[in-house]
Formats: sequence, C-alpha cells, structure tokens
Amino acid sequence: MTHANSELVTPERVRSAAFTPTRLGRRGLDEAEVRSFCEWVSDGLGRLLNDNSMLQAEILRLRQRLLGGHGKDAKPEDVHIQAVHLLSRAQQTADRYVADAQQYSRELAVDAHLRRDEIVREAKVRASMILEEAHTSASEAADTVRATNDLPPASEQQEIQVELAYLRTFSEVCRTHLRAYMESLTRSIDEWERAERDGGLAARGSVIPKQHV
Amino acid sequence: MDERRLKESFARVAAYGDEAALFFYSHLFLGHPEVRDMFPVSMTVQRDRLLEALGRILAEVSNHDTLVPFLQGLGRDHRKFGTLAEHYPAVGASLLATLAHFNGTEWSEDLAGEWTEAYTVIAQVMTEAAAEDGTTNPPSWQATVVGHERPTMDIAVLRNAPDAPVSYVPGQSVAVECEARPRLWRYYSMANAPRPDGTIDFHVRVIDGGAVSTALARSVSVGSRLRLGPPVGALKLDVNSRRDVVLAAGSTGLAPLKAIIERAAGLGDPPRMDLVFGARTAAELYDLADLEKMAAQWPWLTVTPAVSAEVDYRGETGTVADIIGRRVPLADRDAYICGSSAMVAATVKRLQSLGMAQDHIYVEDFGWSES
Repeated sequence: MTHANSELVTPERVRSAAFTPTRLGRRGLDEAEVRSFCEWVSDGLGRLLNDNSMLQAEILRLRQRLLGGHGKDAKPEDVHIQAVHLLSRAQQTADRYVADAQQYSRELAVDAHLRRDEIVREAKVRASMILEEAHTSASEAADTVRATNDLPPASEQQEIQVELAYLRTFSEVCRTHLRAYMESLTRSIDEWERAERDGGLAARGSVIPKQHV
Repeated sequence: MDERRLKESFARVAAYGDEAALFFYSHLFLGHPEVRDMFPVSMTVQRDRLLEALGRILAEVSNHDTLVPFLQGLGRDHRKFGTLAEHYPAVGASLLATLAHFNGTEWSEDLAGEWTEAYTVIAQVMTEAAAEDGTTNPPSWQATVVGHERPTMDIAVLRNAPDAPVSYVPGQSVAVECEARPRLWRYYSMANAPRPDGTIDFHVRVIDGGAVSTALARSVSVGSRLRLGPPVGALKLDVNSRRDVVLAAGSTGLAPLKAIIERAAGLGDPPRMDLVFGARTAAELYDLADLEKMAAQWPWLTVTPAVSAEVDYRGETGTVADIIGRRVPLADRDAYICGSSAMVAATVKRLQSLGMAQDHIYVEDFGWSES
C-alpha cells in the first residue's frame, strides 16, 4: 500500500486501502484481520470527522455571535447562514444513514463470502477423504482376492480379478457416499421449503446442512 | 490575478475540510433547490471530489498547459449530470459565499473581485468545452441491456445496446448509471472493440457493499435501461509501435485489454500478444473459454491463466506479477496492465525490475473501491 503524505485521510480511503499480498509460503498478515482493522479505523475516523465538523460549526457560530452582536438583532444574512447550517446538519444525518446501510450490507457480503469459502474448503477436504477411503477399501479388497484365489500369481487372469475387485469396492464406497449426500440434499430442500412456507426464510439461519455426507 | 492571495484564501477554507464543502452545497441547494436532484442522496463522496478538484485547480492555477485540459475535461464530463451553462453563475455565487464565510474577517471586496475574475475564467473554459462537445455528442447515452450473464457469484457480464452510437477507442471506459441507483456513476471499460451493431460489453465485479456494482450484477437484467457518460481514459493500443505486446489482466481488469486485443485483430499485421489473465481461484477466470477461442482463432495471441489463491490448481499458480516474468518473454515489448491498484503496482514493479522501460508500460488502474 502506498500513499502520498499530502493526501487527506478519509474513511473511504482507509476502507479501500489495497495491500500487496505476500508471496505464497512467506509470512504475511491475515487479510481478514487487516481488512477488519481498516474498517474499524475507518468507522472511528468517520465519527471523529463528523464530531470535528460539528465542533467547528459550533466555534463558527460562537465567533459570529462575538463579532456580530447577539441573536436578538440578527441581520437577514445571518438567518440565511443559519439555514445553510441547518441544511448541512440534515445532509450529514442523511450521509450517516446511507453509510450505515452500506456498512451493514458490506458486513453481510463479507460474512457470506467467508462462509462460502469455508463450505467449499470443507467440501474439498471431505471429497479427498472419501476418495482416500474408497482407495483404501478397494486396495484391501484387491489384496484379499490376490491372496485367496487359485489362479497362478501375476497371470493376466489374476490381474483382471484383482482389478475387478478393486473397482467394484471403489464404486461401492463412492455410491454409498453419493447416496448419503443426495439424501442430505433432499432433506435440506425439504427444510428450505418448510422455512419458506413459514415465511421466515430471511430470519432463519442457514438451511444448508453443515455436513453434506 | 494575484495567485498568492487566491491560494492563501483557499487554504483558509480548505482547512475546514468537509465542513466547507458542506456549507458550499447547502448554500447552493438553498438558493437553487432545482439542482439538488442532480446529486445523489449521500453527498460524502461528492464533497471529497469538490475539494480535490478545487485543490487541483488552485495548485495548477499558473500552469495553463495542464489546467486548461483538466478544466475542459471537467466541463465535458459534467454534461452527463445535466449541467447547463446557466448553472455556472449559481455555483460561482455559492463558492464566493463559502470563501467569504470561512475567511471571516480576512475577506474583503478586493479578494471577492480576485475570485470573481478567477471563477469567470474557469467557468468560461468549462462551458466552452461543454458547448463544443455538444456539437457532436449528446450529454449522455441511453442504452438497453440486451445480455446479462453471471459466470460467478461476484462477476456479471453485461451486453448493452446504446440508442445512439458511442464512438470510442478500445481501452477507454465510460461512467455508468442504472435506474436502481440514480445519480451514482461508476466507471466501466468497454470490453470489446466497436462492433457493427454498436453493442458494448461491461465486465462487472461485485464490490462488497458497493451500491452500483451490486445493482448492476443483481438488480439489472435484460431490458433494463442504463445511462452512459462520454468515453474517457488514455489507455489504447499504440498502433505505431513495432514492438510485440504483453498484456496483464487481474480479474475484470481484463475488459479493456480484451478490447485492445480485438483492436489488434483489426490491424493488417497484428503484433504478437501474450496475455496473462489472473484471478484468485480457477472459478473466477470467468472469461477463459472465450479467450481460448480467440487464441485458437488468432495465431499471434496466447493466453496464460494464473490462479493465486488455490494451491491445488493444475495450471500456473501465483499472482500475475509472479507469472509474467516466468512465462512471457519481455525483451523489446510493450506492456498493457489493468486490474486492482495492488495488482497494477506489483506488476509494474516486476516489469521494471526485469528491465522494461517505463514508457513501454501502459496501465489502467481500477480503484475497486466504491461508496
């Protein structure tokens, strides 16, 4: 991340700061932590700037009162200035509402991304575990065939029998997992429909089962 | 014009920062309520831009060679907001009121005269540029979305048919406004060279919490109407260069580079072009199929996908900067780079460290921040 010292620090600049990622295998900072820190700083800075401009407005108001007499005999232009300040405060309130809504939607989106990544990661780990399990079971089945049949060792016939046993077991294990997966998917679709019927889809937590298989 | 006095009096106002910009807009809207509708609900970004533009004008006030083109650009660019010549005096009056208010006792008739004179020149340069632009171009273009695809959760590819032809150079971008987010304009690059049917593609990446990108990806659909500003941006293919080309795209930074590749295809003798297209995960290489089709069709083009955050990816792993030196010959080449600020900075640094000359490197930086 680079910046010129002369640049104004604004909440938006802090929030959108881009950092150069460290190369794979090197030590670096946790991206999510950096991001959430930036958001925290950005929020704080926004509040401070807001407070600051309100205080400045107050100082200006007091200074004008000192210089230009008292509120009772205010000139027409002063009234206009009062209107300008009033509109400014209203604008600031509107800005804050929009910023809050945006912050909320940003948090929701970031949270959804993290969850999605987590689900994909879990699914990948699970998939490789299933393949490994299938391979182990299939290898065992193949070894058993090799040890127990009466065919001449290393003959083509025996190799075919061994291969057959391996593939049969492999596909069986995969099928079992797949069936369990399909059942859990059906269950979650049922849950989903139920939740929708109850009209509480948005309010309800996740309908995606934590464990697919 | 007394440059020193202008700068000093502006510095006193700029010291109040946001409060000064707030005052300016409130003053303007109270005097001319009809212009409020030209601005978005939240004015936070707007105020930042006002101070930035004024600061820049003051910094360059005696440097006409850079100030005049800047003001002309501003003048043309403001046409899409519906700014008319009649609005300029109103803005001038509010600017003077703001300067007077924050200068307090330092303000004088004399200083007011200086500022009136300076503002008159600024407004004249802007309105003249706007009027000249008006002889050939509409203030903005209406377009209909004719294609809307979501290759991933976070990326949308939009095809749009403008009502009137938009003439642009491949590599340029336009400000886009959609009906769902009135008065919020965001820049997107045309992802294709001009077509006979005039359609324009945009590649939109959803920014978390980004008002416009989210709307373009999720609310906009075929049949929606968009408003486009005038084409801007200096990124374009240097057709006079005899050098071969390396292109570096980070995610939807691909868009202007794809347009540049199509531009090259229109040349009689296109240069050799090697594109590195990077994304975090393989799934985010959203346009790879189309790029590979182009590479199969055009022998002078190669495409290398790069994935940075997926360890078990079967192709090249690493950032675009990592891969560009590893895979692509760089001697005597021009480089075109587009992506996030971090990606652009890292890639430029890598190319320079590998000996590429600064003036052979062309970049377009997508800030990728939205508010």
